[in-house]
Amino acid sequence: MQVVWGRHGSSRVERKGYVMEGKDLLEFFDKALFISNLKAKTKEKSFNELAKLFVKTKFIRKKDIVLEMLLKREKLGSTGIGKGVAIPHGRTTAAMDVKIAFGKSEEGIDFNSVDKKPVHLVFMVIAPTEDEDNVYLSVLGKLVEIVNDRKNRNKLLKSQTYEEFISVFDGAN
Amino acid sequence: MLNKQLDLLVALQDLDIMIKDIEDVKQIGFQVKGRKTLQEARDALVKKINKPFLYNYEKLKTRYKRSIVPVKDDICLGCFMRIPTVLFTRGRSDKEVISCEGCGRILYWYE
Repeated sequence: MQVVWGRHGSSRVERKGYVMEGKDLLEFFDKALFISNLKAKTKEKSFNELAKLFVKTKFIRKKDIVLEMLLKREKLGSTGIGKGVAIPHGRTTAAMDVKIAFGKSEEGIDFNSVDKKPVHLVFMVIAPTEDEDNVYLSVLGKLVEIVNDRKNRNKLLKSQTYEEFISVFDGAN
Repeated sequence: MLNKQLDLLVALQDLDIMIKDIEDVKQIGFQVKGRKTLQEARDALVKKINKPFLYNYEKLKTRYKRSIVPVKDDICLGCFMRIPTVLFTRGRSDKEVISCEGCGRILYWYE
């Protein structure tokens, strides 16, 4: 896989000669990793709420290791990328596959984002320490590209069901 | 709060990988400015790990890409050797640090 990176919205991901499309992200989502209305009011609590889903679905065994990794990642700089979106992410020895959990907050959560705006869409991306073709970075890049599009963000904000949520990615290039 | 030695070693490996991944993540467009903080976090974590375990972790790091590897279906995913079943319960409890008899890597029970 060849990855061609850029700033927000300009990342282009190629895997063996073809450009990764939005629908390619579908394999990393799971209905059991979807929350249409996050209860959490803080960044840390939202991490906890989403990490619990990974344990419940047995993608990971213990959430503490993942939480530790995610909180350390936040020390590098907020994963709140602006425009109401946050993508906490990281590789962990505790994970076997790349997976994305999603939670939507109607109220908004303070992530100390780059634009200081509250976050309504939280994508938690966890990945194993090693993955074939470095899929993890491709997934992150594609996700950033899709949520950077205002139309996609609006659709995600309106989505109430998992089916409505994934249709945004299914329809994205 | 992590306190078991194996959990601390796993946190250390995750942190080492994070430090290594910084540039890639930055290129995607994420905010990355606290590299020094991360190094400080590593130093603090290292202090909590028993010296023999830490020494072993660092030594394995010079030999392999990853010092700690997952065990899946009783197989070490570092060298693909079968782990004796007797170790399964002990390994899964995370109470001890168990190494693969084949490659020496530290084992983490994924399931």
